[in-house]
Amino acid sequence: MSKTVSYGTAFDTLKPEAFASVLRLVDGPLGLTWQHSSITADYLGEFYALRAAAEGLEYNMVRHSIVYLVNELLENALKFRAPGDIEIATALADGGFEIVVSNVITTATAEKFGVLLAEITSRDPGELLIERIEANAADENSSGSGLGLLTLMNDYGARLGWRFEEQAGSELTRLQNYAALDLRA
Amino acid sequence: MEIKTSEYRVWGEGATIHYEGTMRLSGTAAYAPILDLMQETLATKPPKVILDLTELEFLNSSGINLLAKFTIDVRKQPTVGMQVIGSTKIPWQSKSLPNLKKLHPAVELTIV
Repeated sequence: MSKTVSYGTAFDTLKPEAFASVLRLVDGPLGLTWQHSSITADYLGEFYALRAAAEGLEYNMVRHSIVYLVNELLENALKFRAPGDIEIATALADGGFEIVVSNVITTATAEKFGVLLAEITSRDPGELLIERIEANAADENSSGSGLGLLTLMNDYGARLGWRFEEQAGSELTRLQNYAALDLRA
Repeated sequence: MEIKTSEYRVWGEGATIHYEGTMRLSGTAAYAPILDLMQETLATKPPKVILDLTELEFLNSSGINLLAKFTIDVRKQPTVGMQVIGSTKIPWQSKSLPNLKKLHPAVELTIV
């Protein structure tokens, strides 16, 4: 049996009755590049903001929040992934937006990421954000890892969750990253 | 002093640095030329450095980290003040710019 480890908000598959979409960024002959995060984020932002506006939510705010969220999650997926597709399941229901980004990473990357997640899910994100920025500024070589997730939690009130599933017989782990935003806020 | 691509433009004008467009660079190293431009302005030790973000539609978290890092650089210069001008029309600014004041309470944050 493969080992599963979770952090943050518990999540399930997205509500099937919601206004939803599933996109797959295929790691084909043309490859996946940095630009795929912004293109996909812009597309999903527009797609859901139009629908949300029809339900009485504020178009500009909804569009921006979704674009920022999707862009950050996809930047992470593109930065840390092992070769393979990236699946993006999204849904809009009851004034809230939900997303699950799924891709494979090496088990070594998964272990490092797990340490970071254990820390950022155990403390107040606002305090931790400021602490991490200070630590980053003091260290020229620091990559600022985790800051994107902390801005989502602190500035956008996003609820985030992660599930790591080791793939039996390989050095790969499937990572599912969940996020939920209240668009009425 | 100007950095211009098809997606964004950053330029200095006296002690004011203007930002325009959409910035989603891939990390600290990719943002380095922009930080250099900002630090050139700071090196002239003006009474006040002004960041005009009113035309910056989008900034990813690496870019927000760049603004934070620069804010800490300004904090180390007691004779230099700092003003950050944002727009209420651009949601990320009301959400994320208040963090700069937490880093350096003397920052004058104007979101109009």
